[in-house]
Amino acid sequence: MTRSFLEPNNLLRTLTVIGAAGLIILVTLYLALPVAALFFRTTPELFFSSLSDADVQSALRLSLITSVISLGIVILVGTPFAYIHCRNTYPGKMIVDTLIDLPLVLPPAVAGVALLVLYGRVGLIGRYLNIFGITLAFTTVAVIMAQIFVASPFYLRQAKSLFEQLDPAYEQTARTLGASAFRIFITITIPLTASGLVSGAVMTFGRALGEFGATIMFAGNLPGVTQTMPLAVYVGMEGNFNIGLTISILLVLISFAIMIAVRFLASREVQHA
Amino acid sequence: MDKSYRIFTTISIVCALLIIAAFFAGCTTSQPTTKPVTTPPATTAPVQSMTTTVVSTPAPTTVVPPTTTAVVVTSTPVPNYTPSEKTLIVYTAASLKGVSGKLGTEFSQAYPGHTAVFNLDGTQALKTQVENGAYADVFISASNSYTNTLKGEGYFMNSTVKPLTTNYVIVILPATNPGNIKTLADLAKPGVKIAMEDKTVPAGTATYAVLANLAKSTYNQDWNKSVFSNVVTYETSEPGVATKVSLGEVDAGFVYESTYTAAPKDTYSAITIPKADNYLQTYTIGVMQQTQNSGTAQEFEDFMLSSIGQQILKDYGFRPVS
Repeated sequence: MTRSFLEPNNLLRTLTVIGAAGLIILVTLYLALPVAALFFRTTPELFFSSLSDADVQSALRLSLITSVISLGIVILVGTPFAYIHCRNTYPGKMIVDTLIDLPLVLPPAVAGVALLVLYGRVGLIGRYLNIFGITLAFTTVAVIMAQIFVASPFYLRQAKSLFEQLDPAYEQTARTLGASAFRIFITITIPLTASGLVSGAVMTFGRALGEFGATIMFAGNLPGVTQTMPLAVYVGMEGNFNIGLTISILLVLISFAIMIAVRFLASREVQHA
Repeated sequence: MDKSYRIFTTISIVCALLIIAAFFAGCTTSQPTTKPVTTPPATTAPVQSMTTTVVSTPAPTTVVPPTTTAVVVTSTPVPNYTPSEKTLIVYTAASLKGVSGKLGTEFSQAYPGHTAVFNLDGTQALKTQVENGAYADVFISASNSYTNTLKGEGYFMNSTVKPLTTNYVIVILPATNPGNIKTLADLAKPGVKIAMEDKTVPAGTATYAVLANLAKSTYNQDWNKSVFSNVVTYETSEPGVATKVSLGEVDAGFVYESTYTAAPKDTYSAITIPKADNYLQTYTIGVMQQTQNSGTAQEFEDFMLSSIGQQILKDYGFRPVS
């Protein structure tokens, strides 16, 4: 027996479905339309001709290289750090916990100022480094340092929660069977948390790639040395609109590529388990 | 059961789309439309859509904590000002940061009940904001060529565009002179760190011109090349360079004379550039076509061009229009 959708029972259900559909469409459009607008503002010819611009290529190369290095350092240093942090209690653990989250809430420009005031030529530590001829501010190293500072919380928090949720029984069993702590870490802990760590790494890479405020403050803006893609977009939008637009589209495409790669990796992980 | 369910979902989706369309239509009509009077002719200029106003890209905020000097750099995000009779929105070249406070107070005193709010940023950033729909009553530009572009695109009331003041370029050094720079020739020494504005910034164009002139007249092209290879950062506004110098992070920076003159004593040392090689930047002021306070805007322009406004500018190191 079919009932009209205007009947009391079905009316409520209809309204709920409308509301739900509206909500989903609204959120999707809010996220998708700005990205789509980028593509509509340019033409394929303009886009491909801008790609050959030297500034665009150097920004792309610099961004990718620095983000990969930043990610590498965060993973190499952050994973053991998160593991030790989780498996042990030590005095000051609460403070370290808070500090890990700090760059998330700190405005990036403030982070940049802080790095400059510390590592700059007349900075707290920088002045001593300067004696040995080590300069950090306005170099590519500064770009990497800024990226690590702002992006590391994404990976560290993820790693922390993964290691905390991991049932210690697995590791303890391995211990009773005679495996060393290092071997346990490599053969048991990491494989079990791998897919989560990968998603944390992806967020870190994305954040590092998009870093602007700390970079422009601490590393400055020099094409080929410190002008990453976000800086090039900012400068480009004010001078050469098409270049700015092209780099924006490049960033969107890279982001999509990363997300698709991660989805692919994650789905393979599930099948394996 | 199946059939009525399919009808539900179809109708729900249609209703949802209608609601959202109404929402977006409502949004766009309530924005102040800032379509130019003449459509931009150049193909490289952004195409103005007919039905939607593109909201300008928010400029990221670069905030520097106040140092002991008076040079504080703030690049404001694009504000969505509602025009009102009492408050004037003045888009101003960043190099007027130090003087804008005094100008605002004096304007309110001369015209009680009226206030001027300054949006300070690199002229190139302000131009982009205006071209993407930002609202401004008055525009003070540091570059004749940007002014002419905006005039051509129909953003100014062209008859109101007048020269406001002028400024020369100067080289400033941190007070302690860590790079031990005594003359302009020293700028080419290896290892010297120089901060400069990006070439899209009016002060940057001026600096490029000055360096070209100096290379032609006094020093040679090798000097010019060495200076550029010593540049460690191309800032996006003139106060940005001043900040890097005042922090002592670079050995020298190219800024406007007014920045040096108006700074507290012992903030910077300076090396002047011979007038013959220097570039005289002319600032222009004009009332915007889109203004809804044309009376007050004209009053502000008159105030800036009057002896009071010009004297304030002079006190802060700006030069009169020749």
